[in-house]
Amino acid sequence: MRFAPPNPLRIADRASGLNALSVRSYNERLVLSLLLQNEGISRMEIGEKTGLSAQTASVIVRSLEQEGLVSQGEAQRGRVGPPTIPLSLNPEGAYAVGVGFSRRRIDIALIDFIGTVRFHTQLPADEANPFPQSGDLFGAIRQAMTSLPVEARSRVAGIGLAVPDDVDTMAATRNGSSTSLKALQGEIEEQIKLPVFVQNDITAAAGGESMFGVAKPLNDYLFFYLGARLQSRLILNHQIYKGNSSASFDHGLMRLESELAMRGRPSEIIWSSSPEWPDLGEAYSAWLGECSDRLKASISALTQFVEFSSVVLSSYAPQKIAEALCDDIGREFPGIEALPARVSISPKAVGAASLPFSSRFMIQ
Amino acid sequence: MRSVLCYGDSNTHGQIPGRGPLERYGPGERWPGILRSQLGPDWYVIEEGLSGRTTVHDDPIEGAHKNGRTYLRPCLQSHATLDLVIIMLGTNDLKIRFNKPPSEVAMGIGCLVYDIKELAPGPGGSTPEIMIVAPPPMQDDVKEWKSIFAGAPEKSRLLALEFEVLADSLELHFFDAGSVVSCSEADGFHIDAEAHRLLGTALARAVDAIGWSRST
Repeated sequence: MRFAPPNPLRIADRASGLNALSVRSYNERLVLSLLLQNEGISRMEIGEKTGLSAQTASVIVRSLEQEGLVSQGEAQRGRVGPPTIPLSLNPEGAYAVGVGFSRRRIDIALIDFIGTVRFHTQLPADEANPFPQSGDLFGAIRQAMTSLPVEARSRVAGIGLAVPDDVDTMAATRNGSSTSLKALQGEIEEQIKLPVFVQNDITAAAGGESMFGVAKPLNDYLFFYLGARLQSRLILNHQIYKGNSSASFDHGLMRLESELAMRGRPSEIIWSSSPEWPDLGEAYSAWLGECSDRLKASISALTQFVEFSSVVLSSYAPQKIAEALCDDIGREFPGIEALPARVSISPKAVGAASLPFSSRFMIQ
Repeated sequence: MRSVLCYGDSNTHGQIPGRGPLERYGPGERWPGILRSQLGPDWYVIEEGLSGRTTVHDDPIEGAHKNGRTYLRPCLQSHATLDLVIIMLGTNDLKIRFNKPPSEVAMGIGCLVYDIKELAPGPGGSTPEIMIVAPPPMQDDVKEWKSIFAGAPEKSRLLALEFEVLADSLELHFFDAGSVVSCSEADGFHIDAEAHRLLGTALARAVDAIGWSRST
């Protein structure tokens, strides 16, 4: 052993592009996960958190640097000593495409390795046709990928689909042939030649917020998604729990839509991804009050059973709605910090896009 | 206070390119000196650069004391406790008299690493952090050293890869000096004052990037 030539197998693939799926070691995943959670962590700190030696961390970081997944940041001058160079994930190291299925639309987003949305488009959908024409969907996914420079396209790690639980039922009730989710997944893999990952839409949105958003440092929190309906997930020790009941509260945007309809006002704007809504008058304030009460009732019920100090509210609707609701929650529960989610451009699609990353690069 | 041992050859000694073996850059000019000023008062920087030092070979012409392996043990013990050992060697192993391929020069470095681990001169008898620095590749024209270094410039360009393979295999910190400096045209294998400054600065960053905890 002592005088044998070194084993060249440990060294990173020096070719550009991503390593094959199988060679991503647990330790590499561990380091990538730590870097996602703690920007600018040092090798010693990686060692302290993982039990690896700083030198082993060096080897892993070197190979991840060669692969382009990790990069050294700008030197930061501060205390005595040389400028510190923080280590972080390279945003351009990997990309993923996410597709978020909602009642009224389908969002397609391309994100980079730190969750920034680089491309976003929408396709129309309705309850009778939850899946778009597959040609349209492939077209949109291809469009997302070709939004990248040619040399970066090989760095797309995969495609995620965030799908409501009842989507198959919805599809089955459609007249004529139904496209099942499985078939769609297989078709995308076939057409685009990338691995496709599927998850429940709300769970995916919570996962995206845990990975890239305000929930990054949170072990436990209650997650609400305000879409057509108001839905929730409980996150305990980074695990996302979905209640057994499929109940979702009818206090989402569908309720706002009916409030508007009752008053004979147009409601298209609330299904768009417009960053601001015009003044929607009385309908809006009535709905907001109800929605806030529903949130508070849920939180209050849950605090009887579980200890948590954070609530994250995610929505594609204008940020100020989430802010208003979070302020309400904060006033009602002084011990709970309510945070509007950071991911605001299609949280479902971003969550879906995070699936290839967690599957290929992170520890679960 | 932390200590770092800089274990190397003439390019750690600070020999001025194209001049005699007795002509040396000043303490503040050579890379260990730059490292000292960059790392600041928390660090004690020990210079151990000997012209002609090889990794593991007694030099039949320049003398047995050029063998980096026989001197390393007393050197480590003299300077213990050490938090970090930086090794930048390999160029002299490429002299035609040793007739060694680049991969075997890396294996010579591996022997030194083995000895450091065995001696464990780190805090509390631990293994110190070890950083392997691949020397910058030689220029094609090595002037009057042409016959001594026959075939060496080509081999020198392969050292960085071989050293990195070794560093990956033995799990060591690694830095490629060729990524920041080149050898001087004056003799083709020594580095000039500007290169010392750049190398010392880059190594200070590499040392700092290991991320030492604030205590001790």
